[in-house]
Amino acid sequence: MKKLLIALLGILLLVCSQKLFARPQTPATVQKTPKTVVNKNVPATGEQRFQANCGRCHNPPDSLSPREVKAVLQHMRVRAMLSAEDEQAILKYLAP
Amino acid sequence: MNRVWGMLFALLCAATGLSAQSDVPILSGALAFQGTSSGGANSFQPIIFPVLAAPLGDHWLVEARGEVQGFIARQNGNSGPYNGQFVPSFAYLQVDYIADSHVTVTVGRFLTPFNTYNERFPLWIANLVDQPIIFPIGTRTSASSNGGMVRGVALSRSKWNLTYAAYASVSTTTENLQSGRAAGGRLGIFLPQNGVEVGASYQRFLQTGGSNVAGTYFAWQPPPIPLDVRAEYAHSPGGQGYWIEGAYRFASSRDMNTWPTRLQAVARVQQYFKGNPTPMDFLPATNVNQFDFGLNYYLPHNVRLNGSYGRQYSPALNANIWNFEVTYRFLFPAWPGAHK
Repeated sequence: MKKLLIALLGILLLVCSQKLFARPQTPATVQKTPKTVVNKNVPATGEQRFQANCGRCHNPPDSLSPREVKAVLQHMRVRAMLSAEDEQAILKYLAP
Repeated sequence: MNRVWGMLFALLCAATGLSAQSDVPILSGALAFQGTSSGGANSFQPIIFPVLAAPLGDHWLVEARGEVQGFIARQNGNSGPYNGQFVPSFAYLQVDYIADSHVTVTVGRFLTPFNTYNERFPLWIANLVDQPIIFPIGTRTSASSNGGMVRGVALSRSKWNLTYAAYASVSTTTENLQSGRAAGGRLGIFLPQNGVEVGASYQRFLQTGGSNVAGTYFAWQPPPIPLDVRAEYAHSPGGQGYWIEGAYRFASSRDMNTWPTRLQAVARVQQYFKGNPTPMDFLPATNVNQFDFGLNYYLPHNVRLNGSYGRQYSPALNANIWNFEVTYRFLFPAWPGAHK
Protein backbone atom coordinates (compact mmCIF):
# COMPACT_ATOMS: atom_id res chain seq x y z
CA MET A 1 0.00 0.00 0.00
CA LYS A 2 2.83 2.41 0.87
CA LYS A 3 4.50 1.76 -2.47
CA LEU A 4 1.23 2.41 -4.25
CA LEU A 5 0.73 5.64 -2.36
CA ILE A 6 4.23 6.80 -3.17
CA ALA A 7 3.78 5.88 -6.86
CA LEU A 8 0.46 7.74 -7.10
CA LEU A 9 1.85 10.80 -5.36
CA GLY A 10 4.85 10.68 -7.69
CA ILE A 11 2.62 10.65 -10.77
CA LEU A 12 0.55 13.51 -9.39
CA LEU A 13 3.62 15.61 -8.61
CA LEU A 14 5.09 14.89 -12.04
CA VAL A 15 1.93 16.03 -13.79
CA CYS A 16 1.68 19.17 -11.65
CA SER A 17 5.34 20.04 -12.00
CA GLN A 18 5.10 19.91 -15.79
CA LYS A 19 2.47 22.63 -15.64
CA LEU A 20 3.68 24.70 -12.73
CA PHE A 21 7.39 24.59 -13.41
CA ALA A 22 7.43 24.32 -17.17
CA ARG A 23 10.59 25.69 -18.75
CA PRO A 24 10.17 29.02 -20.51
CA GLN A 25 9.90 28.72 -24.24
CA THR A 26 12.83 29.84 -26.33
CA PRO A 27 12.38 33.25 -28.03
CA ALA A 28 11.97 31.56 -31.40
CA THR A 29 8.91 29.62 -30.25
CA VAL A 30 7.24 32.18 -28.02
CA GLN A 31 3.82 33.07 -29.32
CA LYS A 32 2.85 36.66 -28.78
CA THR A 33 -0.77 36.00 -27.91
CA PRO A 34 -2.54 38.55 -25.75
CA LYS A 35 -2.98 37.43 -22.18
CA THR A 36 -5.74 38.26 -19.75
CA VAL A 37 -4.23 40.04 -16.77
CA VAL A 38 -6.17 39.37 -13.59
CA ASN A 39 -6.03 42.28 -11.19
CA LYS A 40 -6.86 40.84 -7.78
CA ASN A 41 -8.07 44.23 -6.51
CA VAL A 42 -10.80 44.44 -9.12
CA PRO A 43 -14.05 42.56 -8.34
CA ALA A 44 -14.20 39.24 -10.17
CA THR A 45 -16.24 39.14 -13.36
CA GLY A 46 -19.21 36.86 -13.84
CA GLU A 47 -17.09 34.44 -15.86
CA GLN A 48 -14.42 34.31 -13.18
CA ARG A 49 -17.04 33.72 -10.51
CA PHE A 50 -18.61 30.99 -12.64
CA GLN A 51 -15.27 29.24 -13.05
CA ALA A 52 -14.38 29.63 -9.37
CA ASN A 53 -17.72 28.45 -7.99
CA CYS A 54 -19.49 26.34 -10.62
CA GLY A 55 -16.68 25.24 -12.95
CA ARG A 56 -14.86 23.37 -10.23
CA CYS A 57 -17.62 20.73 -10.16
CA HIS A 58 -19.20 20.72 -13.63
CA ASN A 59 -18.99 22.06 -17.16
CA PRO A 60 -20.97 25.11 -18.30
CA PRO A 61 -24.58 24.24 -19.15
CA ASP A 62 -25.81 24.11 -22.70
CA SER A 63 -27.85 27.03 -23.96
CA LEU A 64 -30.45 28.10 -21.43
CA SER A 65 -33.00 30.88 -21.58
CA PRO A 66 -32.63 33.71 -19.05
CA ARG A 67 -35.66 32.40 -17.12
CA GLU A 68 -34.13 28.94 -16.92
CA VAL A 69 -30.79 30.41 -15.83
CA LYS A 70 -32.56 32.27 -13.02
CA ALA A 71 -34.18 29.06 -11.79
CA VAL A 72 -30.95 27.09 -12.03
CA LEU A 73 -29.03 29.77 -10.15
CA GLN A 74 -31.60 29.96 -7.39
CA HIS A 75 -31.31 26.18 -7.06
CA MET A 76 -27.51 26.31 -7.05
CA ARG A 77 -27.39 29.22 -4.64
CA VAL A 78 -28.91 26.94 -2.04
CA ARG A 79 -27.02 23.80 -3.12
CA ALA A 80 -23.54 25.29 -3.53
CA MET A 81 -23.98 28.15 -1.04
CA LEU A 82 -23.26 30.92 -3.51
CA SER A 83 -23.22 34.43 -2.11
CA ALA A 84 -25.89 36.85 -3.37
CA GLU A 85 -23.14 38.82 -5.13
CA ASP A 86 -21.88 35.69 -6.91
CA GLU A 87 -25.42 34.76 -7.95
CA GLN A 88 -26.05 38.16 -9.53
CA ALA A 89 -22.68 38.27 -11.32
CA ILE A 90 -23.10 34.74 -12.71
CA LEU A 91 -26.68 35.52 -13.76
CA LYS A 92 -25.41 38.49 -15.78
CA TYR A 93 -22.70 36.29 -17.30
CA LEU A 94 -24.98 33.41 -18.31
CA ALA A 95 -28.00 35.54 -19.27
CA PRO A 96 -26.65 38.98 -20.25
CA MET B 1 -42.62 3.31 -6.43
CA ASN B 2 -46.07 4.77 -7.11
CA ARG B 3 -45.74 6.99 -4.07
CA VAL B 4 -42.49 8.53 -5.34
CA TRP B 5 -43.85 9.22 -8.81
CA GLY B 6 -47.11 10.50 -7.32
CA MET B 7 -45.32 12.94 -5.05
CA LEU B 8 -43.09 14.16 -7.86
CA PHE B 9 -46.11 14.69 -10.13
CA ALA B 10 -48.01 16.48 -7.36
CA LEU B 11 -45.02 18.72 -6.72
CA LEU B 12 -44.73 19.50 -10.40
CA CYS B 13 -48.43 20.41 -10.62
CA ALA B 14 -48.26 22.53 -7.47
CA ALA B 15 -45.14 24.34 -8.64
CA THR B 16 -46.68 24.95 -12.05
CA GLY B 17 -49.80 26.41 -10.52
CA LEU B 18 -48.11 28.51 -7.89
CA SER B 19 -45.19 29.74 -9.90
CA ALA B 20 -45.32 33.35 -11.01
CA GLN B 21 -45.25 33.98 -14.74
CA SER B 22 -41.60 34.99 -14.71
CA ASP B 23 -40.47 31.86 -12.84
CA VAL B 24 -39.81 28.67 -14.74
CA PRO B 25 -39.71 25.36 -12.89
CA ILE B 26 -36.94 23.23 -14.30
CA LEU B 27 -36.64 19.49 -14.51
CA SER B 28 -33.10 18.19 -14.55
CA GLY B 29 -31.17 15.19 -13.35
CA ALA B 30 -29.52 12.19 -14.90
CA LEU B 31 -29.99 8.78 -16.41
CA ALA B 32 -27.22 6.31 -15.74
CA PHE B 33 -26.27 2.73 -16.26
CA GLN B 34 -23.56 1.17 -14.12
CA GLY B 35 -21.81 -2.14 -14.47
CA THR B 36 -19.67 -3.42 -11.60
CA SER B 37 -17.49 -6.43 -11.01
CA SER B 38 -16.38 -6.67 -7.40
CA GLY B 39 -14.37 -9.71 -6.42
CA GLY B 40 -15.87 -11.61 -9.34
CA ALA B 41 -19.49 -10.75 -8.51
CA ASN B 42 -21.11 -8.86 -11.35
CA SER B 43 -23.98 -6.42 -10.94
CA PHE B 44 -25.76 -3.86 -13.08
CA GLN B 45 -27.58 -0.74 -11.98
CA PRO B 46 -29.88 1.34 -14.15
CA ILE B 47 -30.66 4.60 -12.34
CA ILE B 48 -32.78 7.67 -12.91
CA PHE B 49 -32.47 10.85 -10.86
CA PRO B 50 -35.18 13.40 -11.65
CA VAL B 51 -34.57 16.79 -10.02
CA LEU B 52 -37.23 19.48 -9.81
CA ALA B 53 -36.45 23.10 -8.91
CA ALA B 54 -39.41 25.47 -8.81
CA PRO B 55 -38.72 29.06 -7.80
CA LEU B 56 -41.70 30.91 -6.34
CA GLY B 57 -40.60 34.52 -6.60
CA ASP B 58 -37.17 35.69 -5.46
CA HIS B 59 -37.28 34.21 -1.95
CA TRP B 60 -39.00 30.83 -2.16
CA LEU B 61 -37.82 27.68 -3.83
CA VAL B 62 -39.24 24.15 -3.90
CA GLU B 63 -36.70 21.44 -4.70
CA ALA B 64 -37.03 17.70 -5.02
CA ARG B 65 -34.83 14.86 -6.16
CA GLY B 66 -36.18 11.37 -6.59
CA GLU B 67 -34.07 8.30 -7.16
CA VAL B 68 -35.16 5.09 -8.78
CA GLN B 69 -32.28 2.69 -8.62
CA GLY B 70 -32.26 -0.80 -10.03
CA PHE B 71 -29.94 -3.54 -8.84
CA ILE B 72 -29.49 -6.59 -11.05
CA ALA B 73 -27.17 -9.33 -9.84
CA ARG B 74 -26.78 -13.09 -9.74
CA GLN B 75 -28.82 -14.85 -7.09
CA ASN B 76 -25.81 -16.29 -5.24
CA GLY B 77 -23.25 -13.61 -5.98
CA ASN B 78 -21.12 -15.48 -8.53
CA SER B 79 -23.65 -18.05 -9.70
CA GLY B 80 -27.31 -18.58 -10.33
CA PRO B 81 -29.75 -16.61 -12.46
CA TYR B 82 -29.80 -12.84 -12.52
CA ASN B 83 -32.44 -11.21 -10.34
CA GLY B 84 -33.35 -7.57 -10.24
CA GLN B 85 -35.12 -5.15 -7.97
CA PHE B 86 -35.89 -1.46 -8.20
CA VAL B 87 -35.74 0.77 -5.15
CA PRO B 88 -37.35 4.23 -5.30
CA SER B 89 -36.53 6.92 -2.75
CA PHE B 90 -36.44 10.65 -2.21
CA ALA B 91 -33.03 12.22 -1.71
CA TYR B 92 -34.60 15.57 -0.92
CA LEU B 93 -37.99 17.22 -0.94
CA GLN B 94 -37.59 20.64 0.58
CA VAL B 95 -38.89 24.17 0.71
CA ASP B 96 -36.23 26.89 0.91
CA TYR B 97 -36.76 30.43 2.08
CA ILE B 98 -33.88 32.62 0.95
CA ALA B 99 -34.20 35.25 3.68
CA ASP B 100 -31.30 37.47 2.65
CA SER B 101 -27.76 37.27 1.34
CA HIS B 102 -26.62 35.34 4.43
CA VAL B 103 -29.46 33.06 5.49
CA THR B 104 -31.49 30.35 3.79
CA VAL B 105 -34.01 28.40 5.86
CA THR B 106 -34.87 24.91 4.66
CA VAL B 107 -37.72 22.72 5.84
CA GLY B 108 -38.53 19.20 4.71
CA ARG B 109 -36.25 16.42 3.60
CA PHE B 110 -32.74 17.47 2.64
CA LEU B 111 -29.31 15.98 2.02
CA THR B 112 -27.39 15.76 5.28
CA PRO B 113 -24.64 18.39 5.14
CA PHE B 114 -21.72 16.37 6.48
CA ASN B 115 -18.42 17.16 4.73
CA THR B 116 -19.02 17.72 1.00
CA TYR B 117 -19.38 14.39 -0.80
CA ASN B 118 -23.04 13.81 0.01
CA GLU B 119 -24.29 17.21 -1.13
CA ARG B 120 -21.98 18.01 -4.01
CA PHE B 121 -21.22 14.75 -5.74
CA PRO B 122 -24.30 13.12 -7.20
CA LEU B 123 -23.34 10.40 -9.64
CA TRP B 124 -23.37 12.73 -12.66
CA ILE B 125 -20.67 14.88 -11.04
CA ALA B 126 -18.62 12.40 -8.99
CA ASN B 127 -15.34 11.50 -10.67
CA LEU B 128 -15.51 7.81 -9.68
CA VAL B 129 -18.51 5.51 -9.61
CA ASP B 130 -18.02 4.12 -6.10
CA GLN B 131 -18.68 6.24 -3.05
CA PRO B 132 -15.83 6.52 -0.55
CA ILE B 133 -15.73 3.87 2.18
CA ILE B 134 -16.27 6.51 4.89
CA PHE B 135 -19.38 7.89 3.17
CA PRO B 136 -21.81 6.43 5.80
CA ILE B 137 -20.04 8.35 8.58
CA GLY B 138 -22.12 11.42 9.27
CA THR B 139 -24.77 10.58 6.66
CA ARG B 140 -26.58 7.59 8.12
CA THR B 141 -29.23 6.39 8.01
CA SER B 142 -30.13 7.33 4.44
CA ALA B 143 -27.83 10.30 3.60
CA SER B 144 -30.91 12.51 4.01
CA SER B 145 -32.42 14.24 7.02
CA ASN B 146 -36.03 15.16 7.78
CA GLY B 147 -36.36 18.40 9.71
CA GLY B 148 -35.01 21.92 9.42
CA MET B 149 -31.78 23.51 8.33
CA VAL B 150 -30.24 26.98 8.29
CA ARG B 151 -27.41 27.60 5.85
CA GLY B 152 -25.72 30.24 3.79
CA VAL B 153 -22.71 32.47 3.41
CA ALA B 154 -21.98 34.04 6.81
CA LEU B 155 -19.33 36.40 5.48
CA SER B 156 -18.48 37.20 1.89
CA ARG B 157 -15.34 39.08 0.91
CA SER B 158 -13.59 39.40 -2.43
CA LYS B 159 -10.90 36.90 -1.38
CA TRP B 160 -12.83 34.54 0.89
CA ASN B 161 -16.27 33.28 1.83
CA LEU B 162 -17.25 31.76 5.15
CA THR B 163 -20.08 29.25 4.70
CA TYR B 164 -22.14 27.41 7.30
CA ALA B 165 -24.96 24.89 7.68
CA ALA B 166 -26.75 23.78 10.84
CA TYR B 167 -29.58 21.27 10.98
CA ALA B 168 -31.75 19.06 13.15
CA SER B 169 -33.43 15.89 11.97
CA VAL B 170 -36.07 13.57 13.39
CA SER B 171 -36.19 9.81 13.17
CA THR B 172 -38.40 8.58 10.34
CA THR B 173 -39.01 4.99 9.38
CA THR B 174 -41.51 5.59 6.57
CA GLU B 175 -40.55 3.68 3.44
CA ASN B 176 -38.56 5.79 0.94
CA LEU B 177 -38.23 8.63 3.46
CA GLN B 178 -36.03 7.16 6.21
CA SER B 179 -33.88 9.44 8.34
CA GLY B 180 -32.06 9.36 11.65
CA ARG B 181 -32.52 11.52 14.72
CA ALA B 182 -29.53 13.79 14.66
CA ALA B 183 -28.26 17.37 14.81
CA GLY B 184 -25.11 18.86 13.43
CA GLY B 185 -23.45 21.42 11.27
CA ARG B 186 -20.66 22.33 8.93
CA LEU B 187 -18.36 25.34 8.65
CA GLY B 188 -16.16 26.06 5.65
CA ILE B 189 -13.89 28.70 4.16
CA PHE B 190 -13.58 29.10 0.40
CA LEU B 191 -10.77 31.11 -1.22
CA PRO B 192 -12.00 31.56 -4.82
CA GLN B 193 -8.82 33.17 -6.18
CA ASN B 194 -6.71 30.23 -5.00
CA GLY B 195 -9.37 27.59 -5.61
CA VAL B 196 -9.01 26.31 -2.05
CA GLU B 197 -11.77 25.22 0.29
CA VAL B 198 -11.38 23.77 3.77
CA GLY B 199 -13.99 22.98 6.36
CA ALA B 200 -15.15 20.82 9.22
CA SER B 201 -18.35 18.98 10.10
CA TYR B 202 -19.90 17.70 13.29
CA GLN B 203 -22.90 15.51 13.99
CA ARG B 204 -24.50 14.31 17.18
CA PHE B 205 -26.36 11.12 16.33
CA LEU B 206 -29.19 10.82 18.84
CA GLN B 207 -30.20 7.20 18.31
CA THR B 208 -28.79 3.86 19.51
CA GLY B 209 -27.24 5.41 22.61
CA GLY B 210 -25.99 8.55 20.91
CA SER B 211 -22.60 9.19 19.39
CA ASN B 212 -20.44 12.03 18.15
CA VAL B 213 -19.20 12.11 14.58
CA ALA B 214 -16.73 14.62 13.18
CA GLY B 215 -15.05 15.22 9.86
CA THR B 216 -12.97 17.61 7.85
CA TYR B 217 -12.56 18.25 4.12
CA PHE B 218 -10.23 19.94 1.69
CA ALA B 219 -10.58 20.85 -1.98
CA TRP B 220 -8.08 22.50 -4.31
CA GLN B 221 -8.60 23.47 -7.94
CA PRO B 222 -5.53 25.58 -8.83
CA PRO B 223 -6.80 28.10 -11.41
CA PRO B 224 -3.90 27.74 -13.91
CA ILE B 225 -4.12 23.97 -14.30
CA PRO B 226 -7.11 21.62 -14.79
CA LEU B 227 -6.39 19.67 -11.63
CA ASP B 228 -9.04 18.83 -9.06
CA VAL B 229 -7.80 17.60 -5.69
CA ARG B 230 -10.21 16.63 -2.93
CA ALA B 231 -9.84 14.91 0.40
CA GLU B 232 -12.03 14.09 3.34
CA TYR B 233 -11.52 12.61 6.77
CA ALA B 234 -14.27 11.35 9.07
CA HIS B 235 -14.31 9.84 12.53
CA SER B 236 -17.04 7.94 14.34
CA PRO B 237 -17.10 5.40 17.17
CA GLY B 238 -17.63 2.71 14.52
CA GLY B 239 -14.48 3.60 12.63
CA GLN B 240 -12.50 6.32 10.95
CA GLY B 241 -10.84 6.90 7.62
CA TYR B 242 -9.88 9.23 4.85
CA TRP B 243 -9.79 9.48 1.08
CA ILE B 244 -7.70 11.59 -1.26
CA GLU B 245 -8.70 12.02 -4.88
CA GLY B 246 -7.01 13.75 -7.78
CA ALA B 247 -8.54 14.33 -11.22
CA TYR B 248 -6.70 15.83 -14.15
CA ARG B 249 -7.91 17.00 -17.57
CA PHE B 250 -5.37 16.50 -20.32
CA ALA B 251 -5.43 20.09 -21.56
CA SER B 252 -5.69 23.39 -19.77
CA SER B 253 -8.09 24.87 -22.29
CA ARG B 254 -11.75 24.88 -21.29
CA ASP B 255 -12.73 24.45 -24.92
CA MET B 256 -14.57 21.12 -24.87
CA ASN B 257 -14.19 20.58 -28.61
CA THR B 258 -10.88 18.78 -28.42
CA TRP B 259 -10.41 15.24 -27.17
CA PRO B 260 -7.72 16.07 -24.56
CA THR B 261 -10.09 18.45 -22.77
CA ARG B 262 -12.77 15.80 -22.80
CA LEU B 263 -10.53 13.19 -21.19
CA GLN B 264 -9.97 13.10 -17.46
CA ALA B 265 -7.77 10.79 -15.41
CA VAL B 266 -8.76 10.11 -11.81
CA ALA B 267 -6.97 8.43 -8.92
CA ARG B 268 -8.20 7.90 -5.38
CA VAL B 269 -6.57 6.40 -2.33
CA GLN B 270 -8.50 5.59 0.81
CA GLN B 271 -7.94 3.90 4.12
CA TYR B 272 -10.47 2.83 6.72
CA PHE B 273 -9.72 1.78 10.29
CA LYS B 274 -12.50 0.01 12.14
CA GLY B 275 -13.45 1.06 15.66
CA ASN B 276 -16.26 -0.34 17.79
CA PRO B 277 -19.01 -1.26 15.34
CA THR B 278 -22.47 0.03 16.22
CA PRO B 279 -25.75 -1.33 14.84
CA MET B 280 -26.66 -0.07 11.39
CA ASP B 281 -23.54 2.04 10.92
CA PHE B 282 -23.09 0.64 7.36
CA LEU B 283 -19.31 0.55 7.82
CA PRO B 284 -16.92 -2.33 6.96
CA ALA B 285 -16.30 -4.87 9.69
CA THR B 286 -12.54 -4.83 9.08
CA ASN B 287 -9.80 -2.39 8.17
CA VAL B 288 -9.75 -1.61 4.46
CA ASN B 289 -7.16 -0.10 2.13
CA GLN B 290 -8.19 0.70 -1.41
CA PHE B 291 -6.95 2.52 -4.46
CA ASP B 292 -8.89 3.33 -7.61
CA PHE B 293 -7.81 4.59 -10.98
CA GLY B 294 -10.26 5.73 -13.62
CA LEU B 295 -10.73 7.49 -16.92
CA ASN B 296 -13.68 9.73 -17.72
CA TYR B 297 -14.61 10.90 -21.18
CA TYR B 298 -17.08 13.75 -21.68
CA LEU B 299 -19.01 13.21 -24.90
CA PRO B 300 -21.12 15.97 -26.50
CA HIS B 301 -24.70 16.49 -25.35
CA ASN B 302 -23.96 15.91 -21.65
CA VAL B 303 -23.05 12.25 -21.96
CA ARG B 304 -20.16 10.94 -19.92
CA LEU B 305 -18.36 7.61 -19.91
CA ASN B 306 -16.56 6.41 -16.79
CA GLY B 307 -14.33 3.41 -16.42
CA SER B 308 -12.31 2.54 -13.36
CA TYR B 309 -10.26 -0.17 -11.74
CA GLY B 310 -9.74 -0.51 -8.03
CA ARG B 311 -7.96 -2.89 -5.73
CA GLN B 312 -9.22 -3.46 -2.22
CA TYR B 313 -7.09 -4.92 0.55
CA SER B 314 -8.71 -6.12 3.76
CA PRO B 315 -8.22 -9.05 6.17
CA ALA B 316 -11.56 -10.43 4.96
CA LEU B 317 -10.91 -10.26 1.22
CA ASN B 318 -8.55 -8.81 -1.34
CA ALA B 319 -10.56 -7.96 -4.42
CA ASN B 320 -10.40 -6.31 -7.81
CA ILE B 321 -13.19 -3.81 -8.46
CA TRP B 322 -14.09 -2.84 -12.01
CA ASN B 323 -16.67 -0.18 -12.77
CA PHE B 324 -18.19 1.15 -15.94
CA GLU B 325 -20.81 3.86 -16.19
CA VAL B 326 -22.66 5.83 -18.85
CA THR B 327 -24.35 8.99 -17.63
CA TYR B 328 -26.68 11.31 -19.47
CA ARG B 329 -27.41 14.59 -17.77
CA PHE B 330 -30.53 16.47 -18.78
CA LEU B 331 -32.11 19.84 -18.04
CA PHE B 332 -35.24 21.35 -19.53
CA PRO B 333 -38.15 23.52 -18.43
CA ALA B 334 -40.92 21.65 -16.63
CA TRP B 335 -43.51 22.76 -19.17
CA PRO B 336 -43.33 23.15 -22.95
CA GLY B 337 -42.72 26.57 -24.44
CA ALA B 338 -40.84 28.01 -21.49
CA HIS B 339 -37.49 27.77 -23.26
CA LYS B 340 -37.49 31.35 -24.50
